[in-house]
Amino acid sequence: MTSTWLVILSIALALGAPAAYALLLRVAVVRNHPEAYVLAFAVATALAGLAVARARTRRWPAWTALALTGVLLIGGSWFNFVGARVPVAPTALRVGERAPDFTLTDAAGRPASLADYRGQKPVVLIFYRGYW
Amino acid sequence: MAELQGLGAALSEAERAGVEIVAVSPDPNERSQKLAEGLHLGYRFLADRDLAVTRRYGLVHARGGPSGEDVPRPATIVLDRNGVVRWLSISSNFQVRPDPADVLRAVRGLS
Repeated sequence: MTSTWLVILSIALALGAPAAYALLLRVAVVRNHPEAYVLAFAVATALAGLAVARARTRRWPAWTALALTGVLLIGGSWFNFVGARVPVAPTALRVGERAPDFTLTDAAGRPASLADYRGQKPVVLIFYRGYW
Repeated sequence: MAELQGLGAALSEAERAGVEIVAVSPDPNERSQKLAEGLHLGYRFLADRDLAVTRRYGLVHARGGPSGEDVPRPATIVLDRNGVVRWLSISSNFQVRPDPADVLRAVRGLS
């Protein structure tokens, strides 16, 4: 493969992988394997490295691709393996024990308590943040 | 947010009627309202602005936010009709949330 094609493939992979991840975030198997985008960045970096090695004359596109994919690989690795870590800490929740009751207001300002559902319905209680 | 969309898509009409999905976040109510309307899922969005409830549950990730603020640890808890915890999942990487299939299996197992 020529250096130009390697550069195109490398950049397409480096930009396409996070775009696909973001678009398919609601699909559990995609969302729950964020290491896949890190792997894509690693492959893209390797392709860019190969492009640099194969470049005969105009070398700057290959070097640019290598710099871009390298930054994404380092940034993506840090985010997934360090930044996104949530430290483990004890919670007030034990399987088989009643969850602590609370009252909060909903979007319309109406108060809602966990106790409202007791004897009525099972509850899926989700504490969430961000786009994931 | 994507996790809530995924769970909503996995639930049938009957299942949605038979279970209450309560989503708690420190987001301001206006944002939750927009999210609730956009999802059309009948979730109950509750605002825990000061994280008081989240803290009581032991689900605060201290200084885990983008500007070093306290944020919730993502968690999904299945409670039976008596409010007893039957299943729970707490993320150790905030990008990872439970698979809706696992949540549904826990809900179906309550009978």
